[in-house]
Parts: sequence; structure tokens; C-alpha cells
Amino acid sequence: MISIQTEDVDIGTLIAAAKKQGTGAIVVFDGVVRDDEITEMELEAYEDIAKQELEKIARDAADLFRLLHVDIIHRIGRLAIGENILIIVVSAGHRTEAYAGSRYIIEEIKKGVPIWKKELKKDGGRWVPGEHSHGRPKTV
Amino acid sequence: MVALERRKDLGKKVTVKIRFFAQFRELLGSDIITEVPAGTMFSSLITSVAKKNPEGYAAIFDKNGAFHEFVILMKNGKRIDIADADKTVIADGDEIAVFPPVAGG
Repeated sequence: MISIQTEDVDIGTLIAAAKKQGTGAIVVFDGVVRDDEITEMELEAYEDIAKQELEKIARDAADLFRLLHVDIIHRIGRLAIGENILIIVVSAGHRTEAYAGSRYIIEEIKKGVPIWKKELKKDGGRWVPGEHSHGRPKTV
Repeated sequence: MVALERRKDLGKKVTVKIRFFAQFRELLGSDIITEVPAGTMFSSLITSVAKKNPEGYAAIFDKNGAFHEFVILMKNGKRIDIADADKTVIADGDEIAVFPPVAGG
């Protein structure tokens, strides 16, 4: 499942569905709202485009790392500390491919998918600066 | 013939949708539907819309009126290089997006 949504998901259900024939390893990445002296996090996406880009990243990861299954669920809207922001579930025949595929997906999302985060504090808010500009690293 | 076609376009208007995101949206709004003369370029469209809010304009453009290098431009879901924004013509029904560097994940 590739989705941009406000609702949370049941990670256990995703893991069960990822156990395709030939699966020997499942890696779950769960990015959560960190307690950085904030009250909440607000997430915004250019939804149509972000979903297309997530679908492409999932296809590329499956091809590159021989993944058997890929889920990417990116949440938007207001999230409290400790809530899930991004869940990536991948399955593969072996751990090497599963770890590498999961890592590839999160790094590609950080590079270019049009999603933004705003940290909300008692005295206002701050947009989290992107790590990359124009899809390229600022420094190598 | 080409000149005649161009002359026929004179006075024609095209309708486009502009979408700003994150801090640009807060300053300039989003889902802006506007009519502009046929033949308008990407950069002049955004310049005219952004000028409605000096803070929004300064967020997107530098003091020479050029896009800040970090600004990301899209037309119908495809990225447009800043260097090409001056020669990219806006067509009827286009969806234009302007946003700061992404920060998902």
C-alpha cells in the first residue's frame, strides 16, 4: 500500500500482509514525532504528486533490491509527540536486501517528495528546513 | 502564417491554477485560480501573484527579482528549472506549483 493519509495504520497488519512467498526478512521503519520541545507537528503534502513519487520510489526499490513487498504510508495533518509520521514496511528473501531497500526508500523520500513539516510550539511555529534543494544534496 | 496565429492569440486569456505550499502557502494562499494573457511566462505569472504580499515575494524572489536558488517550480507535476522559467509559456488549464525544499519523512 502506498498512501498519504491523516489516519494511523496498524503496523502488525502490514507486517502480516508483507509475508509473501519467499520472504525471509521484513524491515519496518517507523518515523515518529520527536519531543523537541514542541507541542505538535503539522504535515502538509502536494498530495497527487507526492503519491506518484512514492509509487515510483517503491517500484525502483523493489527492482533494485529484489523486494517482495513494499508499503509506504506517510501521514499528514496535525500529529502529537510520539505519533507515527512515516511507516515503511519491506519484505525480501534476505536481510541485506530488506535493510538496503528500506534505507533507499527513506533517503529518496527525504530528497525529493513534496511533503513539509512544521513544528508547532507554544509561542508559534517553525517550518523544518529541507535537507536537500532541487533534489540534490546541499553538501556532499 | 505564424505571425497571423500569434496575432490571433493577442487578447486571449488562459486560466491557470497556482499552488503554493508550506511557508509560501501561508504567505500567498493556495489553489489560486487566475486568468492571464495567452503567452504569459512562468516567471512573470509567479512574480505578479507574489507581488500581492511583499513578505511572500521576498520568500520566493531575491532583490534582483530572480527566484531564490532553493525554490522548486513545477508545471503539471513536472519540475521546471529556474533557468527555464523565463521561457516556459503557461497554457490554459496548467497547474503551477511553487514550494520550498521538501522535508518529509
